[in-house]
Amino acid sequence: MSGANTNLPTVKERANEALKDDFLRKAVRFTTERLRHGKKTASELLGNWEEWRERGRQIRLHTIAHLDYYLNLFADNARANGVHVHFAETATDAVRIALSIAKNHEARTVVKSKSMVTEELHLNQELKKIGVEAIEADLGEYIIQLAGEMPSHIIIPAIHKNRFQIAELLSEVAGEKLSADTKILAGFVRKKLREKFLEADIGMTGCNFAIAETGSMVLFENEGNARMVSTLPRVQITLMGMERIIPSWADLEVMATLLPRSATGQKLTVYMSGITGPRRKEDGDGPEEMHIIIVDNGRSLQLGDPEFQELLNCIRCGACLNACPVYRHIGGHAYGGPYSGPIGAVLTPALKKNVAEWDDIANASSLCGACYEACPVKIPLHEMLVYLRRRKVEAGHGQAAEGMAMKGFGAVMGNARRYRLALKLGRIGQKLVVRDGGIRAKIGPLKGWNKYRIAPSIAKETFQERWRTLEQEIRVEPNETSRSAEARLKQVLQERSSKGGHLHG
Amino acid sequence: MDKTKDQPDWLAELDAQSRARQSSFIDGISQKLGRARPKTPPVHPFRGAPDFWKSMDWPLEERIARFMENFQETGGHAAHLPDWADVRQFIAERAAEMGAKSIIRQHQPELEQLQLEQALPPDVKVTVWNQDTDGDNIARAAEADIGVVAVDYAIAYTGSLTVMSSGGKGRSVSLLPPVLFAIIPVWRLRTRLGEVLAEFDQAGREHLPAGIHFISGPSRSADIENDLTIGVHGPGIVYALIVG
Repeated sequence: MSGANTNLPTVKERANEALKDDFLRKAVRFTTERLRHGKKTASELLGNWEEWRERGRQIRLHTIAHLDYYLNLFADNARANGVHVHFAETATDAVRIALSIAKNHEARTVVKSKSMVTEELHLNQELKKIGVEAIEADLGEYIIQLAGEMPSHIIIPAIHKNRFQIAELLSEVAGEKLSADTKILAGFVRKKLREKFLEADIGMTGCNFAIAETGSMVLFENEGNARMVSTLPRVQITLMGMERIIPSWADLEVMATLLPRSATGQKLTVYMSGITGPRRKEDGDGPEEMHIIIVDNGRSLQLGDPEFQELLNCIRCGACLNACPVYRHIGGHAYGGPYSGPIGAVLTPALKKNVAEWDDIANASSLCGACYEACPVKIPLHEMLVYLRRRKVEAGHGQAAEGMAMKGFGAVMGNARRYRLALKLGRIGQKLVVRDGGIRAKIGPLKGWNKYRIAPSIAKETFQERWRTLEQEIRVEPNETSRSAEARLKQVLQERSSKGGHLHG
Repeated sequence: MDKTKDQPDWLAELDAQSRARQSSFIDGISQKLGRARPKTPPVHPFRGAPDFWKSMDWPLEERIARFMENFQETGGHAAHLPDWADVRQFIAERAAEMGAKSIIRQHQPELEQLQLEQALPPDVKVTVWNQDTDGDNIARAAEADIGVVAVDYAIAYTGSLTVMSSGGKGRSVSLLPPVLFAIIPVWRLRTRLGEVLAEFDQAGREHLPAGIHFISGPSRSADIENDLTIGVHGPGIVYALIVG
């Protein structure tokens, strides 16, 4: 039912899959709205949100600009705390180190708390190959692991599953029919995973922040599974992106102010844990052996790149997903990687060195800038999407028309007078194709876009002037026009599937 | 704390590889940043929260009121009790209502002084962490119906408890039992998160415990159809009791 087919080759095809799934679209819309409103309320309640954002940005900019110093300091301090620190330049290195630890401990099971880095490395599959069962312990991650799928939202990974589908999955594990009641389902998972926490050989975590000055690692979570994973098993392995560093605990106050509010609208997540080394000799619990694997895997490619270095400032809150009108419609799986939404659209290709492998993912954005507005550390994601498209075109992977458009975009946007002139020209030129206030013709640069939509005619007012109204239009439930568009869309999809192909003209 | 002597060969080998790789890994970063690696700490002009925030300090009464409000908002229970005898009675009454059969508590002087055992019926077993746990602390905590801790700090603005691990203070006590009672001696209640975090910077690496945990309400999840579920992995019922 829920299209989780991330194997389809293009964003367009995966988006088609997603658009067919009515539940998915409604669930994504509902969830993103809930989280977005939570963020809005929380940031207003806090006050001075812009000043906090600016401070967050400055701390991240400073740390990344001196990442060599701070990462080295972190590694030295963590080691002094008794942690086994490892450096992995590639995904292969990281996997090799993690597997070697698991093998040497003759581990049978690994319990995991949410870690996007391990998704990036496909570590669960690699562990399985050597006969180690990896169990995701976050409720949402556990559900999608049972379903054999990828997270569709960075904060709510099983956003695309309804309770009946979840009940079905869990009933299989239980060996009896569980009713589709949230409490019963969550209660079953609590009991099931509690056994796993207590018997697992290794606990595996991600890392939200790493504090350079004390060699501590920090985890944010709501369920308590990250605490379980870092308290009960004898061995802890933490996978950490090399850019997760902040200098001090004082800086953590800023991150702790921005991250939960931006992610879910909470003042603080239910648990925030700072872990400084393995258990002390006199302690009664905590891991006896602790490893931190510091992972590059393409992150350092952004360093020194004026267009993309700020990508490393990301604190993985998911606010840009919730703000993005495109994400709201196609959901996370259409992005085809562990990271979705605007951040995924930039991060996924940026982490890959080979331009030829770049997906058409950067095209899955309307460049409206809502992601930048939402970002708690002010990453200019919408600009990065343009840079990506430009690089793709420069490398010869774009379409000729887009190449010309890109050159034109540069020429026009670089000069305010030319921009105003272009708009004026457009207003006149469009008269040829505008009917009832919209452009239906599937011609020129609008060919792909107008397949499902009617491009609006160029406005009498500028975008900035109309922003408030526009935002309202984006956020409200579909009105008459879009309902008829939906009917049209369904018809098109039906026609296409009867032809047996998903290819676009 | 170099434990090279008592660790297995494979681990020693991994550590040796790591040390060998560290400088090339870090130098690679310096190179990409287009300069030599800094030898002195860089000047960090934006350390910590903005200044307007750092000056916020509520009077005690406001801290108490706001803490309780915030803690309740997350689904937790909060009470302000005049002295330790009231705390003892409060916990004993709730434990009886819930039909608790076993309680685990931290090995802390505050909790010795509480003398909870005396207020409980004789069939309720009270276990002290790392004292009478028969060498299996985690199993005792996992069996317990209730965990009792005295917190190291509490924070009014976020409605958070702070617990730090040590020989007498297990991480499992505030995590494994389905019900948690956290006692907050009133002088440990701060206004902002940053006040507590500053203590860790000041203490420095050598003096930090293995686990520092901030707890803001009961364990929760909205992973099934956005339907809020309480008590997913951690305690579902959490009482914060301010005393004094």
